[in-house]
Amino acid sequence: MSVRSDLITQITTNLSGHSDINISQELPFDSGGNPLYEKNPNVVYVDEQDIVVEQLYRTLDQGNVNQTTTTVNAYLSTDAKNQFTDINTVVSNLLIARNVVTNVTDSNSDYETDIEDDTITYTFAYTFTTTI
Amino acid sequence: MAVINVTNGTQAILTLGYDLATSVPGNAGGLVVPFVQDITVNATPGTVRYSTLDSTSSSAFTTVNENSISLNLLVDETVMFGDSSGNVNTVIDKGLFGTSTSKDEIFFSVSVTGTGNSGDIYIAGKGFIGGLAPTASIDGAVWLSPCEIIVNGELTKTVE
Repeated sequence: MSVRSDLITQITTNLSGHSDINISQELPFDSGGNPLYEKNPNVVYVDEQDIVVEQLYRTLDQGNVNQTTTTVNAYLSTDAKNQFTDINTVVSNLLIARNVVTNVTDSNSDYETDIEDDTITYTFAYTFTTTI
Repeated sequence: MAVINVTNGTQAILTLGYDLATSVPGNAGGLVVPFVQDITVNATPGTVRYSTLDSTSSSAFTTVNENSISLNLLVDETVMFGDSSGNVNTVIDKGLFGTSTSKDEIFFSVSVTGTGNSGDIYIAGKGFIGGLAPTASIDGAVWLSPCEIIVNGELTKTVE
């Protein structure tokens, strides 16, 4: 299981009580020049994971220890003027979905918003660090 | 003249043995300590300072040499705690930790320019393992430890 699929599973569980929001298995690729999450409001799209491997420790015999940082972004857009009354709960459930990924030394999630016309887009960033 | 480059991972090598032969770099039966981050050979003559009424500077005379090898390493389970194989090289059998707690005298060599080539230099001696202080934190996520070999006697330089 990849981090992305684990997150999708957990987000689906966390938002199962919210019938107005769907979770897509698709990547948020562009359609007609617009990302799917802009085209389809109230659908959570989880992007492909990005991985960065950095050297954590160097040794004289080159038995190096590396640190892997995995970043995954998720997107949710909705009507800016008529947001869900429990949007804070939705955001919280999306943020704590990171807890599904275990065996990591560091696990963080945050989000930012962007308003364009009458649509607000929540962009969630999940970051996981492991040592190998 | 040229600096000794340790980039390729085959120069600065610490080998431990239960006798002189097994501690020689490249010889069979020695324990090559892996994952060493840094290693320092301390060859320090002891000194005593004294002052005289006719000088504004202190004077000194030497006493005995106090030698040691200090290093920091990432903890390898087998090397730290031994393989319990009954190996005649007790450092392999007991590991660094067991050899330290049992206060066994060990022989060691520090390759300076590598091994296996004519002209390669290593520093050798015998002593006791000490200074182990394994520590772990979630930031690093691996065990790290300093280590010291308290040298019993003199260090010797050998050219292969």
